[in-house]
Amino acid sequence: MRYIIGIGNYSMADDSIGLRIVEHIAQNGLNRGFESIDIADDGMRLLFYFKEETEKIVLIDAVDMELPPGEYRLFKPEDVESTKDVKRLTTHEGDILRVIEFARGFGYPVPPITILGIQPGNLEPKMELSPTLQQRFDAYLQVVLGEIGKDG
Amino acid sequence: MTQNMSINVHHLTRVEGHGNIVVDVKNGKIEKMQWQVPEAPRFFEAMVRGRHYSEVARVTSRICGICSIGHTLASVKATENALGIRISPQTFKLRTLIKHAENFDSHVLHIYFLVAPDLFNVPSVFPLVPTHTEVVVRALRMKRLGHEWGSLLGGRTTHPNRVVPGGFTEYPTEEELKTLRQRLVDLQPDLDATVQTVLSVADKLPSFERPTEYMALSSDKEYALYDGSIQTVMPDGTKQRWPVADYKSCTNEYVVPQSTAKYTKNKMASYMAGALARFNNNYDLLNPEAKKLAEALKFKPLCFNPYMNSVAQLVEVVHSVKDSVRLLDEVLGTGYKPEDLTKPTKFARGQGAVEVPRGILFHEYGYDKNGMCTGGNCIIPTNQNHANIQLDLEALVPKLLAARKDEKAIELGLEMLVRAYDPCISCSTHYLKVEFKR
Repeated sequence: MRYIIGIGNYSMADDSIGLRIVEHIAQNGLNRGFESIDIADDGMRLLFYFKEETEKIVLIDAVDMELPPGEYRLFKPEDVESTKDVKRLTTHEGDILRVIEFARGFGYPVPPITILGIQPGNLEPKMELSPTLQQRFDAYLQVVLGEIGKDG
Repeated sequence: MTQNMSINVHHLTRVEGHGNIVVDVKNGKIEKMQWQVPEAPRFFEAMVRGRHYSEVARVTSRICGICSIGHTLASVKATENALGIRISPQTFKLRTLIKHAENFDSHVLHIYFLVAPDLFNVPSVFPLVPTHTEVVVRALRMKRLGHEWGSLLGGRTTHPNRVVPGGFTEYPTEEELKTLRQRLVDLQPDLDATVQTVLSVADKLPSFERPTEYMALSSDKEYALYDGSIQTVMPDGTKQRWPVADYKSCTNEYVVPQSTAKYTKNKMASYMAGALARFNNNYDLLNPEAKKLAEALKFKPLCFNPYMNSVAQLVEVVHSVKDSVRLLDEVLGTGYKPEDLTKPTKFARGQGAVEVPRGILFHEYGYDKNGMCTGGNCIIPTNQNHANIQLDLEALVPKLLAARKDEKAIELGLEMLVRAYDPCISCSTHYLKVEFKR
């Protein structure tokens, strides 16, 4: 099985980009050959998709890469280092990279993972995406749908 | 007593969202003691206006990614109340089962990943991986069960899509329910080990007491999680019940300067919601195995120590497992089969309440003759606890100062107190911050 997984807080503007993309996929029946999963605020739920039968995961998250808002990058977890303040790292309010590292440390069968990181423009309490991300929503969708079909 | 102290815990860790603890002591006098919640309103109530009744729960389940099952259930119950829908006994039991799944999952997360680090003197769960590997592996195993238990009944754990007004859109097979039952029975060694882990560190829970009012759903039939009336128990043990329809007169929302979240109160200046409030209100209806655990821990109602909320969660973990086995036996023993959705018989206004991990949750909606929502209201348990947290902190700080605790110990004691409530504040974000390797 292949999974597209979104993580974030729906009510914090661009933090919700991953959730909105997987929601769009599910609502429009685009999940052919893969499942689209919303793990919302609980990053630990990612662990439950690290199974022998999981071929691939594409994760979508807002990522501060010091790029202009709306820019995106596709990368592997091993391509980056987390610079988030680790003192504040918890299972609730976490860093998905640490969850992946945690899983590897425990011998979970971590499948090939690609992260679609999208530079947020607004992380304030708001029930909608910033106009910049909203305008590029279809582009993100096409990237993620293309990526899930690729091998590795 | 310490003469001068300034504590400013900005964005308390190991809670969901942002809360600040601010303490100023000058010349031995407490000049400021505030639990601050800088949360912005999210206008869910406005977002449901104009939506069809079949869509409302899908929107309001977004209020919380951790308690989305509870928000779905409270929303669906309020809608069913407004629409004159009476659910079947099987639906009632299956919904109680999914409620148990959410409380189990969230309590395991809170006890093992958010509270345990304080008791093991580490900043987060990650340092426990090499030193207490078996404990972390067990926690993950239990959390996986909670996740799969909720997903089996709800279609998915986060924002369940099978729970709708009138019943369920899809059902697990009989075989799947039997497998779940067996997994719950087989969990016993993990439950026993969890109790031993908690017992080994229980003496590190501070012994602080402040009598207050405790509010929870209550029922004569069962330890209320999915259904019941509003009940409070006062420090002298007197109890009073109200119908859920009267929730506004029991919560009395108000605003305070230091917080953007609304506070609530009932008969006293504040009340507590959550596992300890349920334990204090409904102890007699706990499963016997859960009661046995409470007795072994010398934990009995009325307990006025808010730090014991985490222990009450442990008791509820056992209760949820045992009560779910009972429910599964009843469901499977009475001709389990998929049922058609029950149809609306009217369109009016209705209220619904359930117990989510952090306490009693209220939803209310009105519908016009076409089934379109005319307005809604939600009162979440974390907000109901803010006033009680503030008053606990006000009572605790003088005691810690009088005990000549140093600033670091006082800060930890205050943080642990807030974490015991397991607050879930909506402003948490989960974005990554990365640098690309060259």
